[in-house]
Amino acid sequence: MMKTLDRARTKRVAALVLLAFALVARTAAPAPAAAKAEKLSPPQGWVAPDRQRAIERAHENVPFVSQVKDECFVCRQQRLRNEGYGIDDITDACFLLDSPIIKKRSDQYMPVRFMHSKHAAALNDCTVCHHLRPADPQGKETSRCVACHRQAFDPRHPDRVGLKAAYHLRCIGCHEQMHKGPVDCLGCHDKNVPDHNRLVELPDHPKPSQVTVECLRCHKRQGREMLKTAHWLWRGNSAYTMGRRKEVQSGKGTNAVNNF
Amino acid sequence: MDAQACPVNQRFWTPGVVVLAFLMAAGAVAIVARFVGGIGYVSNLSNARPWGIWVGIDVASGVALAAGGFTTGFLAHIAGRHYYEPIVRPALLTAMLGYTFVVLGLIIDIGRSWAIWKPMIFHNTNSVLFEVAMCVMFYLNVLYLEFAPIVVERYKGRVRLPGLLAIFNGPAEALLSLADAVLPKIMWILIIAGVVLSCMHQSSLGSLMLIAPTKIHPLWYTPILPLLFLTSAIAVGYPMVVFETTIITSSLKRDGEMHILASLTRITIFLLGFYMVLKVGDMVVRGTYVYLLDGTAQTNSFLVELILGVIVPWVMLLCPAVRRSRRALFIACTMIVGGVLLNRINVFIVGFTSRLSDGSYFPSVSEILVTVGLISGLMFIYRVLVTYLPVLSGAHQEVSS
Amino acid sequence: MRLNRRGFFKVVGAAGVAVAGTGQNAGAWHSKAPKDPYGCLVDLTRCIGCRKCEEACNRVNRLPPPELPFDDPTVLDTRRRPTDKAYTVVNRYYTGKLDERSKLVPTFVKIQCMHCQDPACVSACIVGALTKKENGAVHYDVGKCIGCRYCMVACPFEIPAYEYYDPITPRVMKCTFCYERISKQGGLPGCAEICPVEALTFGKRSTLLEVARKRIKQDPARYLDHIYGEKELGGTSWMYISGEPFESVGFRPLPAEPIPRLTETIQHSLFSYLWSPALLFALLGGLMWSTHKKQNTSEKGGES
Repeated sequence: MMKTLDRARTKRVAALVLLAFALVARTAAPAPAAAKAEKLSPPQGWVAPDRQRAIERAHENVPFVSQVKDECFVCRQQRLRNEGYGIDDITDACFLLDSPIIKKRSDQYMPVRFMHSKHAAALNDCTVCHHLRPADPQGKETSRCVACHRQAFDPRHPDRVGLKAAYHLRCIGCHEQMHKGPVDCLGCHDKNVPDHNRLVELPDHPKPSQVTVECLRCHKRQGREMLKTAHWLWRGNSAYTMGRRKEVQSGKGTNAVNNF
Repeated sequence: MDAQACPVNQRFWTPGVVVLAFLMAAGAVAIVARFVGGIGYVSNLSNARPWGIWVGIDVASGVALAAGGFTTGFLAHIAGRHYYEPIVRPALLTAMLGYTFVVLGLIIDIGRSWAIWKPMIFHNTNSVLFEVAMCVMFYLNVLYLEFAPIVVERYKGRVRLPGLLAIFNGPAEALLSLADAVLPKIMWILIIAGVVLSCMHQSSLGSLMLIAPTKIHPLWYTPILPLLFLTSAIAVGYPMVVFETTIITSSLKRDGEMHILASLTRITIFLLGFYMVLKVGDMVVRGTYVYLLDGTAQTNSFLVELILGVIVPWVMLLCPAVRRSRRALFIACTMIVGGVLLNRINVFIVGFTSRLSDGSYFPSVSEILVTVGLISGLMFIYRVLVTYLPVLSGAHQEVSS
Repeated sequence: MRLNRRGFFKVVGAAGVAVAGTGQNAGAWHSKAPKDPYGCLVDLTRCIGCRKCEEACNRVNRLPPPELPFDDPTVLDTRRRPTDKAYTVVNRYYTGKLDERSKLVPTFVKIQCMHCQDPACVSACIVGALTKKENGAVHYDVGKCIGCRYCMVACPFEIPAYEYYDPITPRVMKCTFCYERISKQGGLPGCAEICPVEALTFGKRSTLLEVARKRIKQDPARYLDHIYGEKELGGTSWMYISGEPFESVGFRPLPAEPIPRLTETIQHSLFSYLWSPALLFALLGGLMWSTHKKQNTSEKGGES
């Protein structure tokens, strides 16, 4: 229960943040053409600059680190703290975890937007994620995940997990341990819903029933499930509305033509 | 050898035969259902319990109880005890029909019945089942050939097929003549081959379950299981002959042939005793007697099998009074037959446990109908064949004992 | 009579000695395991129970759609076994382990064919429809199968499932280790490819053993020092490491002895080159000949 509320609150906060971002972006962006100014939605193909930057970053080519420094975890933690690594070193506030390495194997979900600064501020310990450094002394102290974690099951590095697993193991493991943050798929990802513009086939001015038929063409199971709900049957209890509970047991579903 | 075998000349449709026909019809319905809806439609078999009574009773027990054929064949022909000749033909017929119905049972049980010929092409010599299948296949042919002279004796020169089939009179006659010319010369090969093939697959039926050490209850899982299967098959051969001869002679009101049966059981004392020593010895050596008082279905079944199926009848046979009494002898032999039957059921069904999945199993009604139907069919055809062919010795016909 | 019976016993005894003797010369049996097979290491401490592996398996093997969707969490409330419609299933176990908030910690266990190094099913299969391939997969060839289900009797992991409701052409259904996929360069089994946390690690079996040992060594508090499938039944291609005792998450302790060893030893020591049937045939033939000769002479003697 707590978790659900937490998440709801997080989502609400995220929505507000997004709204704020959008407003900022609108004011910051150069004034669009007069004809389009009346529309509230951004023009086609427009991407927020920070998102644009995150997409580009996700597709950057990162040199591969084949050797890592043999260092105990606590030593590394101490050393980084002593050397003063912290939130100020962060260059990008948020990432899009959208590497082509992952997309190569599966594409079920939309990429996760990872709030780097937020996590860094909450943890105040870079080594939780940046757990090892390259053996090369010239290498960066805090390398990107993809520098080491690439394709899964690389026979040359059998004990390194792939990028997708590295993300999941670290995120879910930490969230579980801290009892904070989502641990299920849809908590972080949006579903990669296929573009329905291409899938739906309807005439220009469809009747409502035509739309229903078109939906049911693919979503048969949802159609069957709908037939069991109070929305269809006009019967049963509204269990999910707190404080507005009521129960209807007679009417369309059983003994009447309709409930009016 | 004064009792010449001859066809039975009696009313065919007795109440017993009518009951058999009825059971056959019920079984046939279940078999049709199996070939329409699949094995799962008629049986309670599951992924955890792939083998049920169709294998445990129809096949494994069927093979064991058809052991009368090769044991009497050995006694009368190889060991030269012609004294036992009158029981050879009925035992041979039982074996022949028994194995025929084993194969029929297999055809029903295997999922792809039409593919039953494939082991002849695709061999896996590591598989015990492959060896069993090959032996059963060859042995069935041997049994048919061993039985052929009886058909020749009855029909050679007298082939009168009815109606349109009359055009086959000539070829059938020629076939019988050929059989008459060839078979007596190679009969000794067939008789020995029958014993050898029997020894091979009777023992290998025991090896079958050695592939599942984690599933078979330790009371039955022993490396000498093949030897136990072989010795029990040999031990049950003569009691089975006594059992069926008693039933047949009393239902057809024929001579009880007590003198032959009594001496058969004297041999059985040694054979069954050998099996008993092996079975008990194996239990002692492996220390599995610790399970005996567990009170589970498995251990209880084992106790019944060992005490009522082996020890009690063995002690009974030791008494000369039992061996002289037709009724007591029948009871003792029925117990031995039941003991071996229960042993096969125990090894293949009761003792088979699946601990990872829910492996509870009890045969469904249609499964039982198939098995009962097959057994009824066997008995029915037996009755038909003894009506037309000289199988049962008929010297003292109509002499009730 | 006595002589004959003794002769009879002699034969039976010889067979018995031969059977009993196989216990000693079991060293003659050779494992037929492939030298360098692929395998899969299942790390139960990593599995999050998302059932993506089930979904991927269903997709790549074109299995029928499940009754409940793959993202329905209630499916985990029942303990399931692989079926003819699902080659692999994930079960949830509560072993009694608690987290710091005193909540029960679930352990998720994916089960599928273990692809034994010396599989009992392969040894049992009457027609050789099941074979152990060089790449580690236990492969089923439906073209040879007759449907005897002896493989299902033999399997110690109770994996093969059967299409019981197909009356004419039922198949044995079990995990294929995505044989066709892993035969290609860089190919992965569907389940291992999709696993979001690499609870399934695919690779050469020898490499996986090293990986497993390294993981156990690096985090002894997280893992039990046992790789299930390293030695069990002579080794399996699929192996498991766990933080909870294997008995408490649906695994059975199994001996290190490969299952086919006993039956194959018995079969081959008794029946290689059919020596024992031939010997028995000769013995019986000799016995038959001698009795007939004896009887002929005695009959002649009686007549004269």
